[in-house]
Amino acid sequence: MSLKNHILHTGVLDDNKLWQDLKAGDEKAFSTLFKRYYGNLIQYGNSFSPHAEKIQDCVQDVFTDIWIYRNSLSDTVVVKAYLLSCVRKRIVRLQQRDKVFNKATSMDAVTFLLDFSVEQQLISDELTVAKVEHLNKLLNILPSRQKEALFLKYHHGLNIDEIAAILNVNYQSASNLLHRALVNIRKEWNINVTLLMVLMMNWV
Amino acid sequence: MKKRNKYREIEDFLADESFRLWMRSKNDMAGWEDWTLDHPKRAKLVEEARLWLLAMKVPEHDLTQEQLDDALQNTWLKIEQKEQSPKRENKLIKVWNDGWFGKIAAVLVLGLLSFYAYTNYFTAANTDFYQEQIVAHAEADGLLEQINNSNKPQIINLSDGSSVLLQPKSKLSYPKVFMGNERKVYLSGEAFFEISKNPQKPFFVHANEVVTKVVGTSFRIKAYTNDSDVEVLVRTGKVKVNSEKAYSKSSQKEIVLLPNQALRFERKNQTFKKITDITTDKSISSSVRSIEQLSFDFTDIPVSQILKTIELAYSVEIDYPKQELKKCHLTTSLNDQPLPEKLKIICKSIGNNSSYTMNGNQITILSKGCN
Repeated sequence: MSLKNHILHTGVLDDNKLWQDLKAGDEKAFSTLFKRYYGNLIQYGNSFSPHAEKIQDCVQDVFTDIWIYRNSLSDTVVVKAYLLSCVRKRIVRLQQRDKVFNKATSMDAVTFLLDFSVEQQLISDELTVAKVEHLNKLLNILPSRQKEALFLKYHHGLNIDEIAAILNVNYQSASNLLHRALVNIRKEWNINVTLLMVLMMNWV
Repeated sequence: MKKRNKYREIEDFLADESFRLWMRSKNDMAGWEDWTLDHPKRAKLVEEARLWLLAMKVPEHDLTQEQLDDALQNTWLKIEQKEQSPKRENKLIKVWNDGWFGKIAAVLVLGLLSFYAYTNYFTAANTDFYQEQIVAHAEADGLLEQINNSNKPQIINLSDGSSVLLQPKSKLSYPKVFMGNERKVYLSGEAFFEISKNPQKPFFVHANEVVTKVVGTSFRIKAYTNDSDVEVLVRTGKVKVNSEKAYSKSSQKEIVLLPNQALRFERKNQTFKKITDITTDKSISSSVRSIEQLSFDFTDIPVSQILKTIELAYSVEIDYPKQELKKCHLTTSLNDQPLPEKLKIICKSIGNNSSYTMNGNQITILSKGCN
Protein backbone atom coordinates (compact mmCIF):
# COMPACT_ATOMS: atom_id res chain seq x y z
CA MET A 1 0.00 0.00 0.00
CA SER A 2 2.59 2.51 1.02
CA LEU A 3 4.61 1.56 -2.02
CA LYS A 4 1.69 2.08 -4.37
CA ASN A 5 0.91 5.34 -2.75
CA HIS A 6 4.49 6.32 -3.12
CA ILE A 7 4.50 5.57 -6.82
CA LEU A 8 1.30 7.48 -7.34
CA HIS A 9 2.71 10.50 -5.60
CA THR A 10 6.32 10.53 -6.63
CA GLY A 11 5.43 13.29 -9.05
CA VAL A 12 4.35 15.45 -6.16
CA LEU A 13 7.37 14.69 -3.99
CA ASP A 14 9.62 15.36 -6.88
CA ASP A 15 7.98 18.72 -7.52
CA ASN A 16 8.69 19.87 -3.99
CA LYS A 17 12.30 18.84 -4.20
CA LEU A 18 12.68 20.64 -7.53
CA TRP A 19 10.99 23.71 -6.09
CA GLN A 20 13.47 23.82 -3.20
CA ASP A 21 16.36 23.40 -5.62
CA LEU A 22 14.99 26.12 -7.85
CA LYS A 23 14.75 28.46 -4.90
CA ALA A 24 18.38 27.69 -4.13
CA GLY A 25 19.31 28.79 -7.66
CA ASP A 26 19.48 25.45 -9.46
CA GLU A 27 18.99 26.12 -13.18
CA LYS A 28 18.43 22.46 -13.92
CA ALA A 29 15.54 22.24 -11.47
CA PHE A 30 14.01 25.28 -13.13
CA SER A 31 14.33 23.73 -16.57
CA THR A 32 12.86 20.43 -15.41
CA LEU A 33 9.82 22.11 -13.89
CA PHE A 34 9.47 24.25 -16.98
CA LYS A 35 9.46 21.24 -19.27
CA ARG A 36 7.13 19.33 -16.99
CA TYR A 37 4.43 21.99 -16.86
CA TYR A 38 4.85 24.29 -19.84
CA GLY A 39 2.50 22.22 -22.03
CA ASN A 40 -0.18 22.04 -19.35
CA LEU A 41 0.04 25.77 -18.71
CA ILE A 42 -0.15 26.63 -22.39
CA GLN A 43 -3.22 24.45 -22.69
CA TYR A 44 -4.82 26.09 -19.66
CA GLY A 45 -3.94 29.54 -20.95
CA ASN A 46 -5.28 28.80 -24.41
CA SER A 47 -8.60 27.92 -22.88
CA PHE A 48 -9.02 31.59 -21.97
CA SER A 49 -7.86 33.25 -25.14
CA PRO A 50 -7.57 32.57 -28.84
CA HIS A 51 -4.26 34.49 -29.01
CA ALA A 52 -1.77 31.65 -28.76
CA GLU A 53 1.28 33.91 -29.00
CA LYS A 54 0.17 36.12 -26.15
CA ILE A 55 -0.39 33.05 -24.01
CA GLN A 56 3.09 31.74 -24.76
CA ASP A 57 4.49 35.08 -23.75
CA CYS A 58 2.41 35.09 -20.64
CA VAL A 59 3.46 31.61 -19.49
CA GLN A 60 7.10 32.42 -20.20
CA ASP A 61 6.78 35.63 -18.22
CA VAL A 62 5.41 33.66 -15.29
CA PHE A 63 8.50 31.45 -15.33
CA THR A 64 10.75 34.46 -15.81
CA ASP A 65 9.37 36.06 -12.67
CA ILE A 66 9.62 32.82 -10.74
CA TRP A 67 13.33 32.68 -11.47
CA ILE A 68 14.04 36.32 -10.88
CA TYR A 69 12.09 36.45 -7.63
CA ARG A 70 13.02 32.94 -6.55
CA ASN A 71 14.35 34.19 -3.23
CA SER A 72 10.98 35.47 -2.17
CA LEU A 73 8.96 32.43 -3.25
CA SER A 74 7.01 30.56 -0.63
CA ASP A 75 8.49 27.28 0.61
CA THR A 76 5.26 25.37 0.83
CA VAL A 77 3.38 25.39 -2.42
CA VAL A 78 1.76 22.73 -4.52
CA VAL A 79 3.82 23.56 -7.56
CA LYS A 80 1.27 22.63 -10.20
CA ALA A 81 -1.56 24.52 -8.51
CA TYR A 82 0.69 27.51 -7.96
CA LEU A 83 1.74 27.64 -11.61
CA LEU A 84 -1.82 27.29 -12.88
CA SER A 85 -2.84 30.05 -10.55
CA CYS A 86 -0.01 32.37 -11.66
CA VAL A 87 -0.87 31.88 -15.31
CA ARG A 88 -4.56 32.53 -14.73
CA LYS A 89 -3.91 35.67 -12.69
CA ARG A 90 -1.62 37.05 -15.33
CA ILE A 91 -4.16 36.43 -18.08
CA VAL A 92 -6.89 38.09 -16.04
CA ARG A 93 -4.62 41.09 -15.52
CA LEU A 94 -3.78 41.31 -19.20
CA GLN A 95 -7.36 41.01 -20.32
CA GLN A 96 -8.52 43.61 -17.84
CA ARG A 97 -5.83 45.96 -19.04
CA ASP A 98 -6.84 45.37 -22.64
CA LYS A 99 -10.42 46.02 -21.70
CA VAL A 100 -9.53 49.29 -20.05
CA PHE A 101 -7.72 50.34 -23.17
CA ASN A 102 -10.54 49.18 -25.40
CA LYS A 103 -13.05 50.94 -23.15
CA ALA A 104 -15.23 47.85 -23.05
CA THR A 105 -17.91 47.82 -20.38
CA SER A 106 -17.47 44.36 -18.98
CA MET A 107 -14.78 43.87 -16.38
CA ASP A 108 -15.70 40.24 -15.77
CA ALA A 109 -13.04 37.72 -15.11
CA VAL A 110 -11.90 35.51 -17.94
CA THR A 111 -14.06 32.84 -19.56
CA PHE A 112 -13.01 29.23 -19.69
CA LEU A 113 -13.48 28.15 -23.29
CA LEU A 114 -12.04 24.66 -23.34
CA ASP A 115 -14.40 21.88 -24.43
CA PHE A 116 -14.18 18.37 -23.07
CA SER A 117 -14.10 15.71 -25.74
CA VAL A 118 -15.11 12.06 -25.82
CA GLU A 119 -12.57 9.33 -25.24
CA GLN A 120 -13.62 7.39 -28.33
CA GLN A 121 -10.81 4.90 -28.22
CA LEU A 122 -11.90 3.36 -24.95
CA ILE A 123 -15.50 2.75 -26.00
CA SER A 124 -16.55 -0.24 -28.02
CA ASP A 125 -20.34 -0.43 -27.92
CA GLU A 126 -22.87 1.97 -29.38
CA LEU A 127 -25.02 2.39 -26.33
CA THR A 128 -22.05 3.60 -24.34
CA VAL A 129 -21.07 5.93 -27.15
CA ALA A 130 -24.54 7.47 -27.12
CA LYS A 131 -24.53 7.84 -23.34
CA VAL A 132 -21.07 9.33 -23.22
CA GLU A 133 -21.70 11.73 -26.06
CA HIS A 134 -24.81 12.98 -24.39
CA LEU A 135 -23.02 13.45 -21.09
CA ASN A 136 -20.25 15.22 -22.92
CA LYS A 137 -22.70 17.71 -24.39
CA LEU A 138 -24.18 18.44 -20.99
CA LEU A 139 -20.70 19.00 -19.56
CA ASN A 140 -19.76 21.40 -22.29
CA ILE A 141 -22.78 23.65 -21.82
CA LEU A 142 -22.07 24.10 -18.12
CA PRO A 143 -21.35 27.64 -16.98
CA SER A 144 -17.71 28.55 -17.54
CA ARG A 145 -16.69 28.48 -13.89
CA GLN A 146 -18.29 25.12 -13.16
CA LYS A 147 -16.54 23.67 -16.16
CA GLU A 148 -13.23 25.14 -15.10
CA ALA A 149 -13.66 23.74 -11.59
CA LEU A 150 -14.30 20.27 -13.04
CA PHE A 151 -11.26 20.61 -15.27
CA LEU A 152 -9.00 21.58 -12.39
CA LYS A 153 -10.32 18.85 -10.14
CA TYR A 154 -10.64 15.87 -12.44
CA HIS A 155 -8.01 16.62 -15.02
CA HIS A 156 -5.33 18.19 -12.86
CA GLY A 157 -6.35 16.50 -9.62
CA LEU A 158 -6.34 19.69 -7.55
CA ASN A 159 -8.20 19.76 -4.23
CA ILE A 160 -10.95 22.19 -3.34
CA ASP A 161 -8.66 24.55 -1.43
CA GLU A 162 -6.39 24.87 -4.43
CA ILE A 163 -9.31 25.37 -6.81
CA ALA A 164 -10.80 28.02 -4.55
CA ALA A 165 -7.49 29.89 -4.56
CA ILE A 166 -7.24 29.75 -8.34
CA LEU A 167 -10.81 30.89 -8.94
CA ASN A 168 -10.41 33.48 -6.22
CA VAL A 169 -13.45 32.31 -4.22
CA ASN A 170 -13.80 30.77 -0.76
CA TYR A 171 -13.78 27.05 -0.03
CA GLN A 172 -17.54 26.75 0.20
CA SER A 173 -18.17 28.44 -3.15
CA ALA A 174 -15.64 26.23 -4.89
CA SER A 175 -17.17 23.15 -3.34
CA ASN A 176 -20.63 24.31 -4.42
CA LEU A 177 -19.47 24.94 -7.96
CA LEU A 178 -18.29 21.38 -8.28
CA HIS A 179 -21.24 19.86 -6.51
CA ARG A 180 -23.82 21.79 -8.49
CA ALA A 181 -22.20 20.83 -11.76
CA LEU A 182 -22.45 17.15 -10.96
CA VAL A 183 -25.92 17.19 -9.44
CA ASN A 184 -27.50 19.11 -12.30
CA ILE A 185 -25.96 17.00 -14.94
CA ARG A 186 -26.80 13.74 -13.27
CA LYS A 187 -30.41 14.76 -12.92
CA GLU A 188 -30.83 15.60 -16.56
CA TRP A 189 -28.66 12.82 -17.78
CA ASN A 190 -30.45 10.05 -15.90
CA ILE A 191 -33.80 11.01 -17.38
CA ASN A 192 -32.30 11.08 -20.82
CA VAL A 193 -30.38 7.88 -20.43
CA THR A 194 -33.58 6.03 -19.55
CA LEU A 195 -35.20 7.49 -22.62
CA LEU A 196 -32.23 6.64 -24.70
CA MET A 197 -32.24 3.06 -23.59
CA VAL A 198 -35.92 2.69 -24.46
CA LEU A 199 -35.21 4.09 -27.89
CA MET A 200 -32.24 1.84 -28.46
CA MET A 201 -34.32 -1.16 -27.43
CA ASN A 202 -36.88 -0.34 -30.08
CA TRP A 203 -34.21 -0.08 -32.77
CA VAL A 204 -32.87 -3.49 -31.95
CA MET B 1 -7.03 1.51 0.14
CA LYS B 2 -9.67 1.12 2.90
CA LYS B 3 -10.75 4.59 1.93
CA ARG B 4 -12.50 3.49 -1.22
CA ASN B 5 -14.82 1.16 0.66
CA LYS B 6 -16.56 4.30 1.84
CA TYR B 7 -17.06 5.74 -1.62
CA ARG B 8 -20.75 6.49 -2.13
CA GLU B 9 -20.80 9.10 -4.87
CA ILE B 10 -19.26 9.17 -8.30
CA GLU B 11 -17.33 12.27 -7.22
CA ASP B 12 -15.41 10.04 -4.84
CA PHE B 13 -14.30 7.90 -7.72
CA LEU B 14 -13.60 10.74 -10.09
CA ALA B 15 -11.38 12.40 -7.53
CA ASP B 16 -9.32 9.26 -6.97
CA GLU B 17 -6.13 9.46 -8.96
CA SER B 18 -5.60 5.70 -9.09
CA PHE B 19 -9.14 5.25 -10.36
CA ARG B 20 -8.61 7.79 -13.14
CA LEU B 21 -5.38 6.08 -14.05
CA TRP B 22 -7.16 2.73 -14.27
CA MET B 23 -9.92 4.09 -16.47
CA ARG B 24 -7.77 6.13 -18.79
CA SER B 25 -4.75 3.95 -19.26
CA LYS B 26 -5.90 0.51 -18.05
CA ASN B 27 -3.22 0.72 -15.42
CA ASP B 28 -4.78 -1.15 -12.51
CA MET B 29 -2.05 -0.82 -9.97
CA ALA B 30 -4.48 -0.39 -7.12
CA GLY B 31 -6.52 -3.53 -7.91
CA TRP B 32 -9.70 -1.72 -8.93
CA GLU B 33 -10.97 -4.56 -11.03
CA ASP B 34 -10.94 -7.09 -8.21
CA TRP B 35 -12.38 -4.55 -5.86
CA THR B 36 -15.30 -3.86 -8.21
CA LEU B 37 -16.00 -7.54 -8.78
CA ASP B 38 -15.98 -8.19 -5.03
CA HIS B 39 -19.22 -6.31 -4.58
CA PRO B 40 -21.85 -6.25 -7.33
CA LYS B 41 -23.30 -3.05 -5.93
CA ARG B 42 -20.10 -1.21 -6.57
CA ALA B 43 -20.21 -2.02 -10.26
CA LYS B 44 -23.00 0.43 -10.97
CA LEU B 45 -21.18 3.37 -9.43
CA VAL B 46 -17.93 2.39 -11.08
CA GLU B 47 -19.62 2.14 -14.46
CA GLU B 48 -21.16 5.57 -14.12
CA ALA B 49 -17.90 7.11 -13.00
CA ARG B 50 -16.31 5.53 -16.02
CA LEU B 51 -18.78 7.21 -18.35
CA TRP B 52 -18.02 10.55 -16.75
CA LEU B 53 -14.34 10.14 -17.33
CA LEU B 54 -14.93 9.07 -20.91
CA ALA B 55 -16.98 12.19 -21.49
CA MET B 56 -14.39 14.52 -19.91
CA LYS B 57 -11.40 13.92 -22.10
CA VAL B 58 -9.01 16.84 -22.27
CA PRO B 59 -6.84 16.79 -25.37
CA GLU B 60 -3.15 16.26 -24.70
CA HIS B 61 -1.12 19.33 -25.41
CA ASP B 62 0.67 18.75 -28.69
CA LEU B 63 3.95 20.54 -28.15
CA THR B 64 6.98 19.01 -29.80
CA GLN B 65 10.26 18.66 -27.97
CA GLU B 66 11.62 21.37 -30.22
CA GLN B 67 8.87 23.82 -29.35
CA LEU B 68 9.46 23.09 -25.69
CA ASP B 69 13.19 23.69 -26.03
CA ASP B 70 12.51 26.90 -27.93
CA ALA B 71 10.18 28.11 -25.24
CA LEU B 72 12.65 27.33 -22.48
CA GLN B 73 15.43 29.05 -24.35
CA ASN B 74 13.27 32.06 -24.93
CA THR B 75 12.46 32.19 -21.23
CA TRP B 76 16.13 32.14 -20.23
CA LEU B 77 16.58 34.97 -22.67
CA LYS B 78 13.82 36.96 -21.03
CA ILE B 79 15.36 36.25 -17.64
CA GLU B 80 18.73 37.45 -18.78
CA GLN B 81 17.35 40.62 -20.24
CA LYS B 82 15.36 41.35 -17.12
CA GLU B 83 18.29 40.59 -14.84
CA GLN B 84 20.76 42.59 -16.80
CA SER B 85 19.02 45.90 -17.14
CA PRO B 86 19.43 46.99 -13.51
CA LYS B 87 22.82 45.29 -13.07
CA ARG B 88 24.56 47.03 -15.90
CA GLU B 89 23.85 50.42 -14.35
CA ASN B 90 25.38 49.28 -11.09
CA LYS B 91 28.52 48.18 -12.85
CA LEU B 92 28.89 51.51 -14.60
CA ILE B 93 28.50 53.44 -11.38
CA LYS B 94 31.07 51.21 -9.73
CA VAL B 95 33.65 51.82 -12.42
CA TRP B 96 32.95 55.51 -12.12
CA ASN B 97 33.70 55.41 -8.39
CA ASP B 98 36.81 53.37 -8.78
CA GLY B 99 39.09 56.38 -8.70
CA TRP B 100 41.60 57.49 -11.28
CA PHE B 101 41.37 54.28 -13.31
CA GLY B 102 37.70 54.89 -13.88
CA LYS B 103 38.37 58.43 -14.90
CA ILE B 104 40.87 57.45 -17.51
CA ALA B 105 38.53 54.84 -18.89
CA ALA B 106 35.74 57.37 -19.01
CA VAL B 107 37.90 59.84 -20.89
CA LEU B 108 38.89 57.15 -23.33
CA VAL B 109 35.34 56.08 -23.95
CA LEU B 110 34.31 59.69 -24.38
CA GLY B 111 37.14 60.21 -26.78
CA LEU B 112 36.20 57.20 -28.79
CA LEU B 113 32.58 58.17 -28.80
CA SER B 114 33.23 61.66 -30.04
CA PHE B 115 35.58 60.32 -32.67
CA TYR B 116 32.87 58.05 -33.98
CA ALA B 117 30.26 60.72 -33.67
CA TYR B 118 32.51 62.92 -35.73
CA THR B 119 33.11 60.32 -38.43
CA ASN B 120 29.46 59.43 -38.49
CA TYR B 121 28.17 62.95 -38.82
CA PHE B 122 30.59 64.04 -41.45
CA THR B 123 31.15 60.93 -43.49
CA ALA B 124 28.25 58.51 -43.62
CA ALA B 125 24.54 59.04 -43.36
CA ASN B 126 23.92 55.63 -41.84
CA THR B 127 24.77 54.99 -38.24
CA ASP B 128 27.72 52.74 -37.67
CA PHE B 129 26.02 50.29 -35.36
CA TYR B 130 28.97 47.96 -35.42
CA GLN B 131 31.30 50.44 -33.79
CA GLU B 132 28.73 51.54 -31.27
CA GLN B 133 28.09 47.97 -30.23
CA ILE B 134 31.73 47.07 -30.09
CA VAL B 135 32.43 50.04 -27.87
CA ALA B 136 29.48 49.11 -25.71
CA HIS B 137 30.48 45.49 -25.29
CA ALA B 138 34.24 45.41 -25.65
CA GLU B 139 34.90 46.11 -21.99
CA ALA B 140 32.88 43.15 -20.76
CA ASP B 141 33.42 40.48 -23.32
CA GLY B 142 37.05 40.82 -24.38
CA LEU B 143 36.25 40.76 -28.08
CA LEU B 144 38.60 39.77 -30.86
CA GLU B 145 38.17 41.46 -34.21
CA GLN B 146 38.91 40.14 -37.66
CA ILE B 147 38.89 42.53 -40.59
CA ASN B 148 38.96 41.22 -44.15
CA ASN B 149 40.82 43.75 -46.28
CA SER B 150 41.73 41.19 -48.94
CA ASN B 151 39.71 40.46 -52.03
CA LYS B 152 38.93 36.88 -51.02
CA PRO B 153 36.60 35.52 -48.33
CA GLN B 154 38.25 34.55 -45.07
CA ILE B 155 37.27 31.70 -42.80
CA ILE B 156 36.95 32.29 -39.06
CA ASN B 157 36.57 29.42 -36.63
CA LEU B 158 34.78 30.26 -33.39
CA SER B 159 35.42 28.63 -30.04
CA ASP B 160 32.13 26.70 -30.15
CA GLY B 161 33.01 24.95 -33.41
CA SER B 162 30.97 27.30 -35.59
CA SER B 163 32.53 28.74 -38.71
CA VAL B 164 32.07 32.11 -40.37
CA LEU B 165 33.03 32.91 -43.94
CA LEU B 166 33.82 36.61 -43.90
CA GLN B 167 33.51 38.43 -47.22
CA PRO B 168 35.90 41.21 -48.34
CA LYS B 169 35.52 44.65 -46.71
CA SER B 170 33.78 43.11 -43.75
CA LYS B 171 34.63 42.70 -40.10
CA LEU B 172 33.52 40.43 -37.31
CA SER B 173 33.96 40.86 -33.58
CA TYR B 174 33.67 37.80 -31.43
CA PRO B 175 34.80 36.64 -28.00
CA LYS B 176 37.78 34.33 -27.76
CA VAL B 177 35.61 31.97 -25.73
CA PHE B 178 31.83 32.19 -25.46
CA MET B 179 30.84 32.65 -21.81
CA GLY B 180 27.43 32.65 -20.19
CA ASN B 181 24.12 31.53 -21.60
CA GLU B 182 24.48 32.86 -25.10
CA ARG B 183 26.88 33.31 -27.97
CA LYS B 184 27.11 36.84 -29.35
CA VAL B 185 29.03 38.22 -32.30
CA TYR B 186 28.98 41.56 -34.13
CA LEU B 187 29.14 41.90 -37.88
CA SER B 188 29.75 44.77 -40.22
CA GLY B 189 29.60 43.77 -43.86
CA GLU B 190 28.77 40.34 -45.19
CA ALA B 191 29.36 36.83 -43.89
CA PHE B 192 28.05 33.31 -44.18
CA PHE B 193 27.50 31.59 -40.82
CA GLU B 194 27.45 27.89 -40.06
CA ILE B 195 26.55 27.51 -36.45
CA SER B 196 27.16 24.44 -34.32
CA LYS B 197 24.00 23.20 -32.63
CA ASN B 198 23.52 24.07 -28.97
CA PRO B 199 19.95 24.76 -27.87
CA GLN B 200 21.18 25.77 -24.40
CA LYS B 201 23.26 28.58 -25.85
CA PRO B 202 21.51 30.47 -28.64
CA PHE B 203 23.73 32.28 -31.11
CA PHE B 204 23.14 35.99 -31.82
CA VAL B 205 24.51 38.03 -34.66
CA HIS B 206 24.22 41.78 -34.23
CA ALA B 207 24.45 43.49 -37.60
CA ASN B 208 23.48 47.15 -37.92
CA GLU B 209 19.90 47.52 -36.75
CA VAL B 210 19.20 43.81 -36.93
CA VAL B 211 19.66 40.95 -34.45
CA THR B 212 19.55 37.39 -35.76
CA LYS B 213 19.07 34.52 -33.35
CA VAL B 214 19.81 30.91 -34.13
CA VAL B 215 20.34 27.62 -32.41
CA GLY B 216 22.19 25.72 -35.12
CA THR B 217 21.91 26.46 -38.80
CA SER B 218 23.52 28.23 -41.75
CA PHE B 219 22.67 31.64 -43.12
CA ARG B 220 24.14 34.75 -44.68
CA ILE B 221 23.94 38.32 -43.42
CA LYS B 222 24.74 41.39 -45.45
CA ALA B 223 25.00 44.52 -43.37
CA TYR B 224 27.47 47.06 -44.74
CA THR B 225 27.47 50.33 -42.89
CA ASN B 226 26.99 52.29 -46.07
CA ASP B 227 24.31 50.12 -47.60
CA SER B 228 20.71 51.17 -47.40
CA ASP B 229 19.50 47.68 -46.51
CA VAL B 230 20.40 44.84 -44.20
CA GLU B 231 19.76 41.36 -45.58
CA VAL B 232 19.49 38.02 -43.85
CA LEU B 233 19.25 34.86 -45.95
CA VAL B 234 18.72 31.40 -44.49
CA ARG B 235 20.08 28.21 -46.06
CA THR B 236 19.37 25.53 -43.48
CA GLY B 237 17.56 25.39 -40.16
CA LYS B 238 15.57 28.24 -38.69
CA VAL B 239 16.54 31.70 -37.53
CA LYS B 240 14.70 34.48 -35.75
CA VAL B 241 15.31 38.08 -36.63
CA ASN B 242 14.55 41.10 -34.54
CA SER B 243 15.39 44.75 -34.75
CA GLU B 244 18.14 45.94 -32.44
CA LYS B 245 15.63 48.27 -30.81
CA ALA B 246 13.01 45.60 -30.15
CA TYR B 247 15.71 43.21 -28.99
CA SER B 248 17.07 45.52 -26.35
CA LYS B 249 13.57 46.23 -25.13
CA SER B 250 12.89 42.49 -25.10
CA SER B 251 9.66 43.03 -26.95
CA GLN B 252 8.74 40.03 -29.02
CA LYS B 253 8.36 41.01 -32.62
CA GLU B 254 10.63 38.37 -34.00
CA ILE B 255 10.34 37.27 -37.57
CA VAL B 256 11.01 33.61 -38.19
CA LEU B 257 12.89 32.63 -41.33
CA LEU B 258 13.00 29.14 -42.81
CA PRO B 259 15.43 27.76 -45.39
CA ASN B 260 15.61 29.81 -48.58
CA GLN B 261 13.70 32.66 -47.06
CA ALA B 262 15.23 36.06 -46.62
CA LEU B 263 14.56 39.28 -44.84
CA ARG B 264 15.41 42.82 -45.85
CA PHE B 265 15.57 45.63 -43.33
CA GLU B 266 15.16 48.99 -44.98
CA ARG B 267 17.20 51.30 -42.82
CA LYS B 268 15.55 54.45 -44.05
CA ASN B 269 12.01 53.54 -42.95
CA GLN B 270 13.15 51.08 -40.29
CA THR B 271 10.90 48.39 -41.71
CA PHE B 272 11.25 44.67 -42.32
CA LYS B 273 10.32 42.98 -45.53
CA LYS B 274 10.17 39.19 -45.62
CA ILE B 275 11.08 37.53 -48.91
CA THR B 276 9.65 34.03 -49.15
CA ASP B 277 10.84 33.33 -52.67
CA ILE B 278 14.45 34.43 -53.00
CA THR B 279 14.71 33.46 -56.66
CA THR B 280 12.42 36.32 -57.60
CA ASP B 281 14.40 38.88 -55.63
CA LYS B 282 17.08 40.33 -57.86
CA SER B 283 19.30 41.85 -55.23
CA ILE B 284 19.51 38.64 -53.23
CA SER B 285 19.70 36.06 -55.98
CA SER B 286 22.38 38.00 -57.84
CA SER B 287 24.70 37.99 -54.83
CA VAL B 288 24.52 34.31 -53.98
CA ARG B 289 27.99 33.06 -53.05
CA SER B 290 29.51 29.81 -54.15
CA ILE B 291 29.26 28.34 -50.67
CA GLU B 292 25.48 28.65 -50.77
CA GLN B 293 25.17 26.98 -54.14
CA LEU B 294 27.44 24.04 -53.54
CA SER B 295 25.87 20.85 -52.33
CA PHE B 296 27.66 18.97 -49.61
CA ASP B 297 25.71 15.77 -50.16
CA PHE B 298 28.21 13.24 -51.39
CA THR B 299 27.41 9.74 -52.57
CA ASP B 300 30.43 7.58 -53.27
CA ILE B 301 32.54 10.56 -54.27
CA PRO B 302 36.38 10.57 -54.29
CA VAL B 303 37.84 12.37 -51.26
CA SER B 304 39.87 14.59 -53.56
CA GLN B 305 36.68 15.94 -55.10
CA ILE B 306 35.03 16.51 -51.73
CA LEU B 307 38.08 18.46 -50.58
CA LYS B 308 38.01 20.48 -53.78
CA THR B 309 34.40 21.42 -53.09
CA ILE B 310 35.41 22.60 -49.63
CA GLU B 311 38.33 24.59 -51.03
CA LEU B 312 35.96 26.33 -53.37
CA ALA B 313 33.27 27.00 -50.82
CA TYR B 314 35.46 28.38 -48.04
CA SER B 315 38.30 29.87 -50.08
CA VAL B 316 40.79 27.68 -48.27
CA GLU B 317 43.70 25.57 -49.43
CA ILE B 318 43.78 21.95 -48.42
CA ASP B 319 46.98 19.95 -48.39
CA TYR B 320 46.50 16.18 -48.29
CA PRO B 321 48.42 12.99 -49.20
CA LYS B 322 47.09 12.59 -52.72
CA GLN B 323 48.60 9.17 -53.31
CA GLU B 324 47.28 7.62 -50.12
CA LEU B 325 43.77 8.98 -50.58
CA LYS B 326 43.55 8.24 -54.27
CA LYS B 327 41.22 5.31 -53.93
CA CYS B 328 39.06 6.64 -51.11
CA HIS B 329 35.40 7.32 -51.78
CA LEU B 330 32.95 8.67 -49.23
CA THR B 331 29.20 8.88 -48.86
CA THR B 332 28.21 11.61 -46.46
CA SER B 333 26.02 14.67 -46.00
CA LEU B 334 27.90 17.72 -44.77
CA ASN B 335 25.29 20.37 -45.33
CA ASP B 336 24.48 22.38 -42.24
CA GLN B 337 27.88 21.64 -40.64
CA PRO B 338 30.48 24.26 -39.78
CA LEU B 339 33.83 23.82 -41.49
CA PRO B 340 35.67 22.20 -38.55
CA GLU B 341 32.80 19.74 -38.21
CA LYS B 342 32.95 18.93 -41.93
CA LEU B 343 36.67 18.24 -41.70
CA LYS B 344 36.24 16.15 -38.58
CA ILE B 345 33.58 14.01 -40.25
CA ILE B 346 35.71 13.52 -43.35
CA CYS B 347 38.76 12.48 -41.31
CA LYS B 348 36.64 10.10 -39.27
CA SER B 349 35.12 8.58 -42.41
CA ILE B 350 38.55 8.06 -43.94
CA GLY B 351 39.56 6.33 -40.74
CA ASN B 352 43.06 5.15 -39.90
CA ASN B 353 43.51 7.95 -37.33
CA SER B 354 43.34 10.61 -40.00
CA SER B 355 43.42 14.15 -38.65
CA TYR B 356 43.53 17.73 -39.78
CA THR B 357 45.16 20.97 -38.72
CA MET B 358 44.06 24.42 -39.65
CA ASN B 359 46.07 27.60 -39.80
CA GLY B 360 44.21 30.57 -41.23
CA ASN B 361 43.01 29.49 -44.64
CA GLN B 362 45.58 26.68 -44.83
CA ILE B 363 44.32 23.21 -43.95
CA THR B 364 46.49 20.12 -43.75
CA ILE B 365 45.09 16.61 -43.65
CA LEU B 366 47.27 13.87 -42.24
CA SER B 367 46.30 10.39 -43.33
CA LYS B 368 47.75 7.02 -44.19
CA GLY B 369 44.89 6.16 -46.54
CA CYS B 370 41.43 4.82 -45.92
CA ASN B 371 40.27 1.53 -44.45
